Amino acid sequence: MSIVALIPAFPFAGALLIFLGWRMKGRTAAIIGSAAVGLSMASAITLASISSLSPQSGSAFGLVLWNWLQVGSISVPIGLAVDALSIVMCLVVTVVGFLIHLYSVDHMAGEEGYGRFFGYMNLFVGSMLTLVLADNLLLLYLGWEGVGLCSYLLIGFWYRESANGRAARKAFIVTRIGDISLLVGIFLLATSLGSLDIQEIGRRAASAWPLGSPIASLAAALVLGGALGKSAQLPLHTWLPDAMAGPSPVSALIHAATMVTAGVYLVARTNALFALAPAVQLAVAIIGAATLLVAGWSALFQTDIKRVLAYSTMSQIGYMFLALGLGAWTGAIFHLAMHAFFKALLFLTAGVIINALHHEHDIFKMGGLARRMPFAFWVFLIGSLGLTALPPVTSGFASKDAIVARAWTSGDPGHLLWIAAMLGVLITSAYTFRLLFVVFAGRGASAANAANAAHGSAHEGGQELARPGPLLTIPLGILAFFCLIGGLVDFPRILGGVPWFGTFLGTALPPAREAEAGGGSELALALASLGTSLMGILIGALLWRRSLKPGFVSPSSGIASFFKKGWGFDRIYAVLFQTPFEWLCRVNRRDAVNLASNGIGTANLAFSRVLRSSQTGMIRWYVAFLAVGGALVIAAAVIL
Amino acid sequence: MSASGYLGLLPLAILAGSAILVLFGLAFARQRYETAFALSMAGLVAALASLFFAWTGAPQRFTALLVLDHFAYLSMALSIGATIVVEFMSFAYFRARREENGEFYFLLQLACLGCAVLASSSSFASFFLGLELLSTPLFTLIGYRREREAGLRSAFMYLILAGVSSAFLLFGMALVYLETGSLDITTAARAASGSASFTVLAGLALMTVGIGFKLAVAPFHVWTPDIYDAAPAPATAFIATASKGAMAILLVRFFAPAGIAGAGPFAWIFAAIAGISMFTGNILALREGNLKRLLAYSSIAHLGYILVAFVASGNQGSAAVSFYLVAYFVSNLAAFAAVAGLSTNEAEADSIEHYRGLAKGHPWAAAALTASLLSLAGLPLTAGFMGKFVIFEAGAGAFLWVLVVILAVNSTISIFYYLRVVSALYRPASEAGTGSMSPRPAMPALAAIALAAMAIAIIVIGAMPGSLMAFIREVARDIASNAAAAL
Repeated sequence: MSIVALIPAFPFAGALLIFLGWRMKGRTAAIIGSAAVGLSMASAITLASISSLSPQSGSAFGLVLWNWLQVGSISVPIGLAVDALSIVMCLVVTVVGFLIHLYSVDHMAGEEGYGRFFGYMNLFVGSMLTLVLADNLLLLYLGWEGVGLCSYLLIGFWYRESANGRAARKAFIVTRIGDISLLVGIFLLATSLGSLDIQEIGRRAASAWPLGSPIASLAAALVLGGALGKSAQLPLHTWLPDAMAGPSPVSALIHAATMVTAGVYLVARTNALFALAPAVQLAVAIIGAATLLVAGWSALFQTDIKRVLAYSTMSQIGYMFLALGLGAWTGAIFHLAMHAFFKALLFLTAGVIINALHHEHDIFKMGGLARRMPFAFWVFLIGSLGLTALPPVTSGFASKDAIVARAWTSGDPGHLLWIAAMLGVLITSAYTFRLLFVVFAGRGASAANAANAAHGSAHEGGQELARPGPLLTIPLGILAFFCLIGGLVDFPRILGGVPWFGTFLGTALPPAREAEAGGGSELALALASLGTSLMGILIGALLWRRSLKPGFVSPSSGIASFFKKGWGFDRIYAVLFQTPFEWLCRVNRRDAVNLASNGIGTANLAFSRVLRSSQTGMIRWYVAFLAVGGALVIAAAVIL
Repeated sequence: MSASGYLGLLPLAILAGSAILVLFGLAFARQRYETAFALSMAGLVAALASLFFAWTGAPQRFTALLVLDHFAYLSMALSIGATIVVEFMSFAYFRARREENGEFYFLLQLACLGCAVLASSSSFASFFLGLELLSTPLFTLIGYRREREAGLRSAFMYLILAGVSSAFLLFGMALVYLETGSLDITTAARAASGSASFTVLAGLALMTVGIGFKLAVAPFHVWTPDIYDAAPAPATAFIATASKGAMAILLVRFFAPAGIAGAGPFAWIFAAIAGISMFTGNILALREGNLKRLLAYSSIAHLGYILVAFVASGNQGSAAVSFYLVAYFVSNLAAFAAVAGLSTNEAEADSIEHYRGLAKGHPWAAAALTASLLSLAGLPLTAGFMGKFVIFEAGAGAFLWVLVVILAVNSTISIFYYLRVVSALYRPASEAGTGSMSPRPAMPALAAIALAAMAIAIIVIGAMPGSLMAFIREVARDIASNAAAAL
């Protein structure tokens, strides 16, 4: 099982090779980058098959590579933990990562900084794998910061446009708030429990802290703060829509499939803490429910194809948090895995469309693409069905319905949460199908023709656009296939499924603490959510019809614009934090604190000038130094 | 003396013998610089290898002059390793004028022998002998490029200053001998730790001047920038590492176990020297535009850090000094390997301006130099971080809170000037070409090997220090018990 060390080692090695051979030919970088992630995937699959053939229950297989620091009783090993949870995460990261790397080979071809792109992507995959494999919180935090750095670098990949740089900084700063919270949480756990090992922390916390004690709640809340920032949940969610400034593969890998779900992983990994803090766990559920509604509602008003998907991502992660909050640990991870596949598929297809239309992001300038890009249409449809949890696509159907059902059966606050989840189902299918109809249905918007004319391209409205190459279609095809059958690994029992996935994860995560709902109500719940989804499709269709009316303009003012801009959170934060901060800075520019901090620098530099004047280069002066120094030492030795 | 006793002397014998061989080689074939290099390298490698055989016989005393224990061998390994790296650099550095550089290797090897004697000496006689064996070749090494006036001038400066400091040292030894009647260093150190007389205290104080000069700690540091700047880069690298390292080892070896560092007037004196050195070195470096001078100033501060661990004393302090020396050696050698490799016959690559845009032309060299500078600054995942970490641990363990705080403050100050160099590496080369050479010379293979090896060592020690740390702690535990047994 030591093969686990190879899983993060390959991408790191790839990144190193690419960075140090900075000017290597673009193709070479792409091959190294993809091969590194491919090898990592092969190792992860090997590991998964080994461990599923001989499943271990209870504690994980740990591999301590070496000990980094040792201070007193706290040691920081570079150690990896292999259990069902980390195996699932590794598989998701490497499989989706590999497919996205393949896709990028073609998609990013000809971009400036092609090699740089693959270097950053490999670094990202390596850091993400470190995060999910770490057996202690400090190593996890190292991976956590690594993925944050890569996210920043890749959002600002096209750095020549200042808006992209701003988006990158925003993402970095907003997630940083969460990171600090996590770091303080780690400090708290290390000082009060005397260990950084995640398993050990769980054990010690359970014995040292009573249920619902303030310190347990504080620790859980601080960890949750980190998770909220990384996973773009309320109130730290504002960075994700802007993060779409990065290339599409980046949005697919980092801002949909893997990094933003790190928060979900973190909460699942530290479930022992949350079990001790029921209030915080309830907060997780409420935040999840609120986010899924707020973000889903915003998605209904977006006109940029990638922003629709970004809000949808927030909303889906909201479902995962809801599941975590309800104690459905395996359900949350299951939805995480399924979401990774269908959301990556949607983003990558969007990337194909955007490239085919000369970087057009506005969905109202698309239209009628079903005939012009049939392949894109079919895979996008599969992804959309996954997102709306509709059969025959099994992935979302299996995972999301489980969460919704779980909300119903979980007692008192559950029913309110269930209503939120059902509303979410309705909104999800409404925005998804609005997007699908607007982009693909009809004869093609007149705006699209106008855009084509403006670009001076030859193809007419009805003609098929250039077919994407095999390096684009094969990853899309594989992802679509996974979406179609993925849900079968944990299909509802009522429909003849077997919960393999849940059983496997059950070796690493505590079971859901509740009695299974009866078969009848499970079926009723499934049917209810199915009906809700279909209703949502109808709403989506209506929204599309409305946009076809002559004289329709996409919302630019009023309440619709308010929702489009994400409920004005940016405005609120600007007023609450940014403006006062900037005002304070302006007013305080010449204050005492500043004087002190600048004074240190000035004093140092001035002192430096004085000291440098002693460096005369004259021997007699230097000998005098020796003599005076000697006299001082003798005097000190005698007097002391 | 048993056979294993002579086996213990093998490293020193090989160093001395092969130095003479190199000299003979040069006498018969003056032009054969490769022969000199190969002979000297063979001697160094053989000496390094013989340490493994000598290791098992340790500890033992060889007459009244030398004590050959694990700690001595460890420091010999450090000096010899550093010399090997320096010879690699030298071969690259003198690539355009090879016919004249044969003696350089002989002198380096002789100085290395001086370091080895110094680190294993147990008496004032061998102490002084080792010191002079180390210093004398350095005069020539510093002024080796005699067509340069600055080099010659600095060689004379070092000659005079080293002479003066040796006078201090000798007079100090004489005073101590006068009182104790013994040339044994441990005895002398013991004498000072008790209720010592004026004579002994004054003697030790005078010796401190001599030692401080060699270590280049404030206020005996003034020579450093001029010598560093004027000497050829490989010679500078040797002065910065092997020469200072041997003296630091000697200091730890005899003064720390005797308790002289932990208490009494000399604890205060060394603490003051440490504090002043940290501040002086770092503040002097802030505005420096010349990389070699910058490294000189920073080395003053680094020796100050080492003295913090020295004052902390005890096993932990000794181990911290040794570990920090390793980190300091690899980081400095990497930096000087870059300087040596990028210098040409016409111009020394010393101006920071010169390094602008290095990442474009030499991405690997820039990455390695970055690793070295970050390690000197003490950023995590580098050897320098682990080194500072163990010094912190030792300082905190001995409750030297003031010194530990000064160390932390100074680490912060130092980051400023190290990052200034790093940022230059990744900035585009200046258009006007002020100070930057164009076209930049290719990195010679041997310098590149030295640079890469040191950079890898920096990262490996920084990321997985466990086994090295355990080894050094083991060896450090040795000195205390040996010193106790010796008396």
